[in-house]
Amino acid sequence: MTSFPGAQPESGTSAREGRVFDLGYRTYEGPREGRNRARLAVYIDGLRIALGLGRGGRAKILPWLFVAVAIGIGLIFALIAGAVDRVAGAGAAEAADLPSHADYYTGAGVLLFLFAAVVGPELLCPDRHNGVINLYLVRPITSVDYVAARFLAFLTVMLVVAWLPQIVLLAGLAFGAPQPGDYLTDNWTDIPKFLGAGAALAVYTTSMGLAVAAFTTRRGYASVGLVGLFIITQFAAGIIGEEVEGATGEWLSLISLSDIPMHINELIFETDDSLGGGFAAGNLPTGVRIGAFFAFTAAPILVLWYRYRSLTV
Amino acid sequence: MDTLLRAEKLTKHYGPVVALESAQFDVVEGVTGLLGSNGAGKSTAIKLFLGLISPTSGSMQVLGVESSESLEVRSRLGYMPEHDCLPNNVTAAEFLTHMAQVSGLPPSQARSRAADTLRHVGLFEERYRPIGGYSTGMKQRVKLAQALVHDPALILLDEPTAGLDPGGREEMLDLVRKTHAEFGISLMLSSHLMGDVERTCDRIVVLEDGRVVQQGEVTGFTEELETIFIEVEERRAELLEALKRLGVEASDEDGAVIVPEAGTDTYELISKALVEAQAPLRRLGPRRHALSEIFEDTNGLSAPPFAAAGDPE
Repeated sequence: MTSFPGAQPESGTSAREGRVFDLGYRTYEGPREGRNRARLAVYIDGLRIALGLGRGGRAKILPWLFVAVAIGIGLIFALIAGAVDRVAGAGAAEAADLPSHADYYTGAGVLLFLFAAVVGPELLCPDRHNGVINLYLVRPITSVDYVAARFLAFLTVMLVVAWLPQIVLLAGLAFGAPQPGDYLTDNWTDIPKFLGAGAALAVYTTSMGLAVAAFTTRRGYASVGLVGLFIITQFAAGIIGEEVEGATGEWLSLISLSDIPMHINELIFETDDSLGGGFAAGNLPTGVRIGAFFAFTAAPILVLWYRYRSLTV
Repeated sequence: MDTLLRAEKLTKHYGPVVALESAQFDVVEGVTGLLGSNGAGKSTAIKLFLGLISPTSGSMQVLGVESSESLEVRSRLGYMPEHDCLPNNVTAAEFLTHMAQVSGLPPSQARSRAADTLRHVGLFEERYRPIGGYSTGMKQRVKLAQALVHDPALILLDEPTAGLDPGGREEMLDLVRKTHAEFGISLMLSSHLMGDVERTCDRIVVLEDGRVVQQGEVTGFTEELETIFIEVEERRAELLEALKRLGVEASDEDGAVIVPEAGTDTYELISKALVEAQAPLRRLGPRRHALSEIFEDTNGLSAPPFAAAGDPE
C-alpha cells in the first residue's frame, strides 16, 4: 500500500505492509472510450460466460466437458487410423476408408448442437432474467451492439469448438503416418475443407442457439426448446422423405434443422453418405442446398436482430 | 450553476395513457428529488432522460446535449434501476469492472475504479464473493456502485429505497448524500416517500398524474413558512391576546402557543408580546414544516397521494 502525505488514515484498518490511507473519492480523468470499448467489453464477457471463466466451478463443467469430449472424438478417430496402420501396414487406414475429417461433423455434430443449445442461451437469457440488460441499455451501447457482440463471442467459441478437434485429428493422423511431412503435403486440402465445414456448422449453430434464447429469459427452456426443434424436425423430415415421393418430398425434408449444416459438409468433402444415404433432401441440386443453408442461418440472425432492436426496459 | 437536465414540454403517452404531460423542469447540481405517487410519471421521466424511450412530444437536454439519441452522453450518466439488475454468479469486483468497461473505461482503470467504488459503498471486504449471496441491502449498494463506477456527472436513481427496512433505508439515503457531498456527483432520485426526499434532497420536483405540480428548493419549501412554538409557565391566554393586539396570528395547541407563517420580524413581536403579557417563558423555537404539512395546508391537496416516511399507511 502506498501512503500519501496529508491523507487521512482510515480508522480500524491495519496492514502488515504499513498504514492504509483512505484517499477519499477520486474523480476519473482518464480516457472514456465509449461505444467501441463497450462493444469489446460485451464481446469478451461473452467469451468468459461461454467458457465459465470467473464464474465458479459449476459454470465451467458443461462447456469444458463438451470441449473435452469433442476433442476426445477427434483423438479416437486418429488413434483408430494409427492402430489400423500399425496392424495392417502403412496406407491400410486410408484404403479402409476409416472415419476422418469428412465424417467428424457427421459423428460429432450432435455434440456441437448440444453445446449451442446448452451454452448459447447462457449468453443472453440470464441478462434478461436478472435485469442486467437494463444496465447495458443505459450505457454507451445500443441493444443491437450488445446482441451483435454476444453473437460474435459465441461464434468465436463455436469456431474453436468446431475446429480444435479437427486440428487434433489432423495432427494425430500426421504423426501416426510414417512420414508426417508427406502426409501433410498429400492431404493439405483437408485443412481448408474442415475449416470451411466447421465454420458453416459454427455460424449455423450460433444463430440457432441465440435466436431461440431471444424468446425466453430461462436458459433451460431455450436449451430444451432448441434440442426439441432439432429432434422434431429431423423426425418429421425422416417420415416425409419416406412417405412423400419425388421432388416434393426432397424439398419438404429440408426442414430437418440438424441436417442443414451437413449439406455444406457433404458438398465440401464431396461425400454423399454423411447423412446416412436415405436422406431425401441430399438429392436436391447443389444451389438449393447452399441456399437452404444460408436461409436457415440468416433467418435466426434476423429474428435475433428484431427481438433485440425493439427491446425496452 | 450548470443545468444537468432540462425537460421542455416533455410529453409521453402510452396509447391513451398519459404518463407525462408537458413536464417542464430543470435539474441542476445537487440532489434533486422526483416526488410522486405510483404512476405519477417518475420512472417515465427517468427513462426519457436515459434515452430508453422517446418522447411523444417536447424535448429534453441531458448534460447540455439536445435529445437523448446521443450514446456518448451516457458515458457520463449513471442509472440505478428500481428492480433487480444484478447477476448471481459473478463477484461484485468482477461485475463492476465489467460495467465500468461497458461505460467506456479501459480495463486497468476499470479494475481500480471498481475496487475504489466498492470501498466507498462499504463492500470492500465482500468484493470477491458472488453477488447471489448478498443481502438485500448489500445488493442495493452494488446497484449504486455500478451507477457510480465510471464517475458520472449525474446519477438517476429510481426508487433507491424500495424494499429496504428502515435501517437499510437510512444507510441508502446516507450513501446518496455522501455521493453528492463527498464525491461531488449530482443525483436525481425518484421516490414516493416524502420523508426520504425531505431528508436527502436539495430540490424537489413534484409530479402528479404526469404533471409537474411543484418544484423548488427543499429548504425554501420548509423555511419560508416557518412555524414558531412558544411554551410559557402560565398566562397563556394573556400572551395570545397580546399577540393578537400586535397583529400576530396565533393559536393554542396542545398547551403551547403556535405562531404559523412566521416572517423575519415575528420574533421581535413575540418578545414584545411576552413582555406585555408578563408570561414566564419556558421554551420558544422554530418548528420546520414537514413537507407533508405543506401539501396538506397550503397547496390545497387535501389528501396528499404521498405517504410520509414512517407513516403506517
